[in-house]
Amino acid sequence: MARYGMALDYKNCINCKACEVACKEENGVLLGADKHRIWVGSNDVKGEWPLLDIASAAFLPSQCQHCDDAPCQEVCPTHATYYDENNVVRVDPDKCILCSYCMNACPYDARYVDDRTMTVDKCNFCAETRIARGETTTACQNTCPTKVRIFGDLDDPNSEISETLRVREHFTLKTHLGTNPKLFYLT
Amino acid sequence: MAETVEKTEEMGMIDKAKAFVSTIPYNKIGMKDLTDFEKTPRNNLVAVLTLAFVAMFVVGVAIYLMHGHHAYNVTREHPWGLLIAVYIFFVVSSTGLCIVGSLGDVFGFKDYEMISKRAIFGSIVTILAGFAVIAFEIGHPVTMLIYNVISPGLTSAIWWMGTLYGIYLTFMIIEFVFLLKHDMKNARIFGLTGLLVGLAAHSNLGSVFGFLNARPISNGVFYPTYFILTAFITGIFIAYILMGWRYKLDFPTEAKKMLIGLAKIQGLLISILIFFVTWKMLTDIYGGMPNRSEVAIHILGSWTFWAEVILAMLIPLYIILKDMGKSINAMFWASLAGMVGIFFMRYNLVHDTQLKPLQMMKIKEYQLTPEWIHYFPSMTEIMISLGGLGLCVLLYYIGSKLFNLDADEAH
Ligand code: SF4
Ligand code: SF4
Repeated sequence: MARYGMALDYKNCINCKACEVACKEENGVLLGADKHRIWVGSNDVKGEWPLLDIASAAFLPSQCQHCDDAPCQEVCPTHATYYDENNVVRVDPDKCILCSYCMNACPYDARYVDDRTMTVDKCNFCAETRIARGETTTACQNTCPTKVRIFGDLDDPNSEISETLRVREHFTLKTHLGTNPKLFYLT
Repeated sequence: MAETVEKTEEMGMIDKAKAFVSTIPYNKIGMKDLTDFEKTPRNNLVAVLTLAFVAMFVVGVAIYLMHGHHAYNVTREHPWGLLIAVYIFFVVSSTGLCIVGSLGDVFGFKDYEMISKRAIFGSIVTILAGFAVIAFEIGHPVTMLIYNVISPGLTSAIWWMGTLYGIYLTFMIIEFVFLLKHDMKNARIFGLTGLLVGLAAHSNLGSVFGFLNARPISNGVFYPTYFILTAFITGIFIAYILMGWRYKLDFPTEAKKMLIGLAKIQGLLISILIFFVTWKMLTDIYGGMPNRSEVAIHILGSWTFWAEVILAMLIPLYIILKDMGKSINAMFWASLAGMVGIFFMRYNLVHDTQLKPLQMMKIKEYQLTPEWIHYFPSMTEIMISLGGLGLCVLLYYIGSKLFNLDADEAH
């Protein structure tokens, strides 16, 4: 039906981590540092005072890239990892055998083990919560105070995300691996 | 009417199968026979260690059943731990023994026929030990058996590896039965098929790592081919250990001839391996490619890498080259060292693949920038691993009492 993706105006990120909290809350992700679907990355600021390199201090929110050619899906022995009708990469806990191959194959460290089901879990663009309720927003996008995230249907030329990607330059992470991520970073 | 015919046919099949099974030669043994071994200090030590390891297996599995993967030190960044390495260790051993066993009964090299039955039996018990270990690493082994069949992921190297190993085990068992029955023609047919399936399974295991585009240190053609080479090397090490144990290092002429032959092959194989590893390291480092070069340099600085090189390559090669494989007693000890080296080889393969974090930014407050992923196995992982070894030795011992693993007299 749709082909959901996300564009991140990452330079606006202030590392408040509201998105991480909203995600845990919305999707019932367990507490614990290892158990996260989304995260905000930061680097140590380079340079010495007063010649600080401000550009090196940008924050980079990230998560599962919902690759169009997802290595995690290719390596899964039981089709537990699959593309759903909205092209969102999902895990079916009934089929997952916890071989952890996908955790090794995902180039973005996007997967972790959910201790309740003992299967692999990751961001699913709120497919079981908001999208299932008919909404077309994600919790992280909804909560972000600086409006970093734009979520929408990449196949719909009139969606905000399609519009933005047409007019603003952007890049994807580890593009050379040919995974075709659907997470776009706006420059 | 038709039903009765079918029934009788079915009965016929069952009867035939029963008749077939009843012709498999084996010795009737009881508990007494099992405890009946020469009570030398060496034998006693091995017996105690084996039982202790099996006990550890039971305890380890119990802890795992209570705490799941929390009993292991695997993490989000290092999801594969010691048990995967030990699984690989056992299945490499199995493939290796299958290759060594095939020399005689598949390819018809007369000198090597005397070890065929023993090696094929060894290949069965090693893969069973491997399966016993992996069953407690895979989170849901029963789900695996079901969904592997009804929802096969044909693009997954793990699917191919697991499925082919299952088929391989079946062929090995059939081959072994024909060997026991001294039906060399059928043994050859099943042996050859089993060998081909085993080699395919094994290189698929290499491709589990080779296909990881996200991990430049493992990605590529190296592991699928290297796995076959190291399997053969492992097979010869174990052949030495099995024969040395069987004859208490006092070999009859025929065994000597075979072992010297094997040592010469081993010399060649280890030389090729050193050549392989050297070039792998050099290409990894050359040009400073990110995520590959620094990982390779890091590996060169780890003691486990040198344990692998010294124990599995340099010591055995030195002993072989000293007098062209004639010191077979020394080779027995070198083979024991070699197997320790091979263990490190498997451990390194698994650990080194995951050394480099895929996410290089800090995601927690007060965190240092990620550099290398650390992992050290937990007690439970170690217990289950040693348990696998215990099971393997125990099964082999029972088998050696139950079946005649020596070559038949007619040969
Ligand atoms: S980012 Fe990782 S988990 Fe997400 S689709 Fe791509 S490979 Fe799969
Ligand atoms: S851990 Fe689960 S989802 Fe991941 S590859 Fe294995 S079966 Fe598939």
